[in-house]
Amino acid sequence: MNPALAEPVPVRGVDDWALLAARARSRRRMREILLYAFMALGALPILIPYLWLVTVAFSGRTGASTFVLWRTLAVLLPALFLWSLLRLTLRPGRVLTAIEIALGVFTVALIALLSGPYLHLDNWRFLWNSNIADTIKGASGMGVKYPSVWTAFGNSLLLAGTQMLIVVSVATLAGYYLSRFDFRGRTGYLKGLLVLQAFPAMTLIIPIFLMLYWIGLLDTLAGVILVVAALELPFAIFVMKGFFDAVPWDIEMSAMTDGASRRQAFRLIVLPQVKGGMLAIAVFAFLRGWEEYVFVTTLLLSKSNWTMSLYLFWMRDDMMGTDYAMVSAMGVFYVLPSVVLYTFMQKYLTQMTLGGIKG
Amino acid sequence: MAEIELRGVTKRWGAVTAVEPTDLRIDDGEFVAILGPSGCGKSTTLFMLAGIYAPTDGEIRFDGAVVNDVEARDRNVGIVFQSYALYPHMNARDNILFPLRFKPVSREEAGRKVEAIATLVQVHELLARKPSEMSGGQQQRVALARALIKEPQLLLLDEPLSNLDASLRLTMRGEIRRLQRELRVTTILVTHDQIEATTMADRIICMSKGRIEQIGTADVLYHQPDSLFVAGFIGSPPINLLAGIAAGRNLRVGEATLSLERSVDGKATLGVRPEALRLGERGVAGEIDDLEPHGRETIYHLRTPLGPLRALEPGEAARFRIGDTVKVDLGRALLFDEAGRRIADARPALAA
Repeated sequence: MNPALAEPVPVRGVDDWALLAARARSRRRMREILLYAFMALGALPILIPYLWLVTVAFSGRTGASTFVLWRTLAVLLPALFLWSLLRLTLRPGRVLTAIEIALGVFTVALIALLSGPYLHLDNWRFLWNSNIADTIKGASGMGVKYPSVWTAFGNSLLLAGTQMLIVVSVATLAGYYLSRFDFRGRTGYLKGLLVLQAFPAMTLIIPIFLMLYWIGLLDTLAGVILVVAALELPFAIFVMKGFFDAVPWDIEMSAMTDGASRRQAFRLIVLPQVKGGMLAIAVFAFLRGWEEYVFVTTLLLSKSNWTMSLYLFWMRDDMMGTDYAMVSAMGVFYVLPSVVLYTFMQKYLTQMTLGGIKG
Repeated sequence: MAEIELRGVTKRWGAVTAVEPTDLRIDDGEFVAILGPSGCGKSTTLFMLAGIYAPTDGEIRFDGAVVNDVEARDRNVGIVFQSYALYPHMNARDNILFPLRFKPVSREEAGRKVEAIATLVQVHELLARKPSEMSGGQQQRVALARALIKEPQLLLLDEPLSNLDASLRLTMRGEIRRLQRELRVTTILVTHDQIEATTMADRIICMSKGRIEQIGTADVLYHQPDSLFVAGFIGSPPINLLAGIAAGRNLRVGEATLSLERSVDGKATLGVRPEALRLGERGVAGEIDDLEPHGRETIYHLRTPLGPLRALEPGEAARFRIGDTVKVDLGRALLFDEAGRRIADARPALAA
């Protein structure tokens, strides 16, 4: 006989079960608290610089002071801590919502009270001054002529927008073809797309410079647009192929027996199914163009072609006694479109991994 | 509505032959089922008729005219796919209307047609819904409506019932048959389910490995199968097949000897339907190994000198128990030669 079976099994009373349940509950609670604390700590170094940027943009005078940042944080961090505690202890419901709203109002009011007097819009004067060089405080910007920030904004918009249109239309058509048609070298082509993705584009910068020079597109936005679009395409094509792969053949065949031509079936039936993928690569392509720095700084030479990234760079670099407060405001102005785009397109961006994996 | 004819139609994918040269005639208004296991070429045949695949060889004729080079969109063929293939971004109404977009039909007339066809397939109250908001049966009705709205000359059904649950399948079977009778549209149903084929179609085309094994009514396919394949594929529970050796008018199967009405020589296969076996007073002795009560019938697994046999007896209660010894008589039996062809006039019977 197995000796282990001979051992009397300890009988648990009702109290024991309650004890075990309580222990499990508190352990779960503990794990939750630790997890959130860890995530909050991890997020701080990312979030605080952005908060700093924003506070300086609205309150700084010449220098990049941390004065308002500390005051804001002194209110914000305890408020966030309090909010986390609330969330952990109270059940979701009307009471919690009411307390949350009260806490929110109180926090905003306290920040306004402590930091409000120091806020001003002077750092945003680049928006309405055509030659910013004249307004730099204590700087020797005399005689230097800078383009309006709106020129740079327009250039960036043109670069990002056109590049996005090229990437979306080419990647959609190429992705469809790669997904649906068999042709000689298809596998090689697909592998090529992945390999291209592995090389840093930076290594190509000298040949690209020379090529654009020979073609005559050096120092033109069109040149940069073509280069950035070309570098963005392999990834976008791969993502789009994944989305097309997920569209069943049946509906396409069905459309064709229903009287549609192949092109009509593509436009009326298949394209609507990959709308999410197109939006996702559109957002990524736009942001890629919007934040482009390496190629614009190499391939664009004249001031009238400056994009936002170049404008920001020269503002920080080229003036005697940089006005960091204004540079911060410009930074906020520069990231604003990205933030807006991310906020509204989040839904489609998360879809991309789903479609992409299937590739 | 059209009369369909295949003359030597073949489909090869590289070195693989999906459909061997096939000849076939389907009358105007007929309901035909193509029955076979997966990979037998039945769907390929269907897609060739629809114009999605081009045949490698041979001619497809609609009402006598060769349509090989006519594009799918010009053939006026309605298809219901196994997956229904509804357009996910359109509601039911737009799905049904889709084929009319490519026809010179006025908006009012299209609207009238949608109403009429929706009533016919009973999806009237679903017209505003997207496919994702419909059940499988509802999606299938919409798919039927979409296939029928253009008044096709040929309706193709590719395993239309296989994604439905059992009770819905029963309803849709009757439904599709009713629609077909009302509209008198030439219809081809592709299925691997013999019950679907036998209950719905006027004629059944049994396919295997890209070749037509036999064409006939359910009755003929069941009782007079041309080949071992057809005999084994049709019938549930399946036919008993026992290997034997024939010499003259004697057939040796296991430890038993059977008599034949005509001389046969060489290897042969004996086929007996489970319900043809008679359990009782006559025949060879067999022992009941196992039994499956099915309510209105009982299936017995027997060990006999011939080999293991499956017998089916109607009746609510089992007459025997496991371990009982009973006499087994063959009843009507079939004989197949070494190549699997049926020998029609051999009539094997237990030697007296």
